[in-house]
Amino acid sequence: MGTGNAAADSALRILVVEDEALIALELECLLDDLGHVTVGIAGTSAEAIALGRSMAPDVALVDVHLVDGPTGIEVARALSEDRRTTVVFMTANAKRIPTDFAGAIGVIAKPYSERVVASTLDYVADRRAGRSGEACPDGFLPAPG
Amino acid sequence: MVITDARAPDNPVAWANEAFLQATGYEAAEIVGRNCRMLQGPATDRATVARIRAAIQAAEPLSVELLNYRKDGTPFWNAMTITPVSDAQGVAFYYAAQADMTHTHQREVTMRGTNDELERLVDARTHALSAALEQKTALLHEVDHRVKNNLQVISSLMLLKARRTPEGEARDALQGMAERIGALSTAHRLLYSEGDCAHFNLGDFAAEFLADMNAGLDPERHRIEADVEPIAVAAAMAAPLALLIHELTANALRHAFPDAREGRVSIAARRTECGMHLTIQDDGIGLGAAPPNPAGFGRNLVEMVVRQMRGTIAWRDGGPGTSVEIDIPLQPAA
Repeated sequence: MGTGNAAADSALRILVVEDEALIALELECLLDDLGHVTVGIAGTSAEAIALGRSMAPDVALVDVHLVDGPTGIEVARALSEDRRTTVVFMTANAKRIPTDFAGAIGVIAKPYSERVVASTLDYVADRRAGRSGEACPDGFLPAPG
Repeated sequence: MVITDARAPDNPVAWANEAFLQATGYEAAEIVGRNCRMLQGPATDRATVARIRAAIQAAEPLSVELLNYRKDGTPFWNAMTITPVSDAQGVAFYYAAQADMTHTHQREVTMRGTNDELERLVDARTHALSAALEQKTALLHEVDHRVKNNLQVISSLMLLKARRTPEGEARDALQGMAERIGALSTAHRLLYSEGDCAHFNLGDFAAEFLADMNAGLDPERHRIEADVEPIAVAAAMAAPLALLIHELTANALRHAFPDAREGRVSIAARRTECGMHLTIQDDGIGLGAAPPNPAGFGRNLVEMVVRQMRGTIAWRDGGPGTSVEIDIPLQPAA
């Protein structure tokens, strides 16, 4: 269950890139429970890249498979060009992720548990704030290097 | 058999036997007085000819095979042994014994052809098999991806409905279902992660399950502990075992600690001679003290799953708390 403990300074503005409407909607509720803000939901690569450019979110949670095919990889590459955005894959298709992770910092494997989403976002918030103390949460696979 | 005159100009044939005349198709008169190079033709190997010339100049014996031509123009493989015969003044004659090796050569060529053909067939078959395997692997990944994605969709559906349901029995039931699906999801996520599609590591499952369950508990009051050996079980048992462990743990948390009672649930599993022994224990109020539960879905589900795995189950009112002991037979590890 959501811990709802994201302090005001660690509340993240999050873009959800997910073609499955039900998953996206539930994820939005979960992020809200955790004290984060969903700034947009995109189901296609074009939407995702446009929303990313206009919103400059803190975090983008990106599924590999979108409405227009396995284009989540391109989305990750495009969004991570903006240094303000941290990209995390969220997919049941981790085998499709290239070895350089297309600029993403890691992957949450589907089907995920709420705990892994919560602890991964805490970890991302710490990294962004320059606090590196927290160990990488289990259930989250970091990009190599 | 041929004898050549080493002292006459151009080393001509001095004598040829009947076998040689038959093999080449020439009359003795057409051969005697001429150099043996008259038998060479367009496909005769020049390097072999050079070796023969060098041996004759050096007066050394030599054995070679050379493609020669009969009078009618047909080629034949001529295996020859050339031996210099010397007197006091030096080499007087060359003596050459011949054999027709055409059939041997033909066999070799045919054999090489057959080998090449076999290798080509093996290559083609290997290629077809790799392509088929690649296709099957891609299909497995696709199905695996779809199952995982669908589990996520089902779980999202349950949780969305739970969020929109007022607090109470219905909402608890929906959340309970989402939790069961969560346990199945954990099992499924671990199924193919190590590249071994046939086995499932119960120890890995217990570690993830424990972390997920404990995240939802108030650590001051309730705690779940596990001591589960890394037992490899058949993939088909992953889902029932995940459901079983989840159900017993959730049951204990739901019924053993009423009225803000504090407590612990422990999960232990170890290998036995012909299977595994699973213990789930709590230090709560015990079976007898809990109010009767008319729905009793959890206990029903547990007994059903144990039966499905051909196991046995014993519920004990242990002092204190409840202890559930389960024995499940396992196929010997492959």
